Amino acid sequence: MFRFNKVLLILAVLAITHTYAYASNSENFGKPITLQEITKVSDILASPENYANKKVLVKGMVVEVCAKRGCWMDIASDKAFEKIQIKVLDGVIVFPLSARGKEALVEGKVEALNYTKEEAIELLEHKAEEKGEKFDPSSVTGPLTTYRIKALGATITE
Amino acid sequence: MKWRKWNNIIHRDLGYICVGLTILYAISGIAVNHIHDWNPTYKIVKHKEKIDPILSDGRLITDKEIQNILKTLGNKPEYKKKFQPAPNLIKIYQEGNTIDVELLTGDVIQEKITKRPFFYQVNFLHLNHAKKLWTWFADIYAAALILLAVTGMFVLKGKKGIKGRGAWFVTGGLIIPILFLLIYG
Repeated sequence: MFRFNKVLLILAVLAITHTYAYASNSENFGKPITLQEITKVSDILASPENYANKKVLVKGMVVEVCAKRGCWMDIASDKAFEKIQIKVLDGVIVFPLSARGKEALVEGKVEALNYTKEEAIELLEHKAEEKGEKFDPSSVTGPLTTYRIKALGATITE
Repeated sequence: MKWRKWNNIIHRDLGYICVGLTILYAISGIAVNHIHDWNPTYKIVKHKEKIDPILSDGRLITDKEIQNILKTLGNKPEYKKKFQPAPNLIKIYQEGNTIDVELLTGDVIQEKITKRPFFYQVNFLHLNHAKKLWTWFADIYAAALILLAVTGMFVLKGKKGIKGRGAWFVTGGLIIPILFLLIYG
């Protein structure tokens, strides 16, 4: 029995040391990244319809992370005042809040989100409310399509 | 019977081994279950402050201006990154702190995040952020729980065993999730 306990203790120590020995300043999420060529976020945002349903690899600074579930993050574009949302299925990948201000490499599919005029008003109203900004519903004149990246895998580096 | 003796030994010793992780996983499970109400891993504290407006005229804010903002706020001068999501808004990233500055109004929101002691560690393991060898260990633990449940059914014989009231309890335990699946599924 004593020997059995000793083996268990050694296994536990090995598991812990292995986990921490490989801890580095980069963290991987989801599936491994397969693409080599990086697509500029600004190119996707300039003509998103050309990238819809296509797999892309993007790189940028994490500027915001979903505070509750870690189910999305925004990454900065290579051009000023631009960002793109990276979405994951709840629980499949959880982006940590501490990722803000770090560099992310994300592989995923560009997806289009189509909203009716009413849905668009609701969405933009909610976003404005979140930012504490004023929103004029009459500024929405018709249906809206937005684009985001459905992430398959990501690497976040310090 | 000899098989029951071994059944009980396995159940007892496996039970001892699994105590620690079962309690940790259960605590993390409760914490993560209420993710709508709180962030179970990080404590988030927001502070609203006001500084003098910065007339940026839609340009990018310079490092010197960021240093001035940090000095006014009484923060350390070091920052990791900056980002301007819009011409009149800047986000400054410091270690564990994100500062949003509305340049035209001077409204500032500082959002400080700290790891929740204990919960950060148990969620780290429970949600398998460790990955690598921990994945295997967690799989073995899950298999041990199955074995623990199965052997548990055969610990006692007679009226209090699986052929007696044990059967009713096992059936009840199976009916509860099925019922919830029928109601919410």
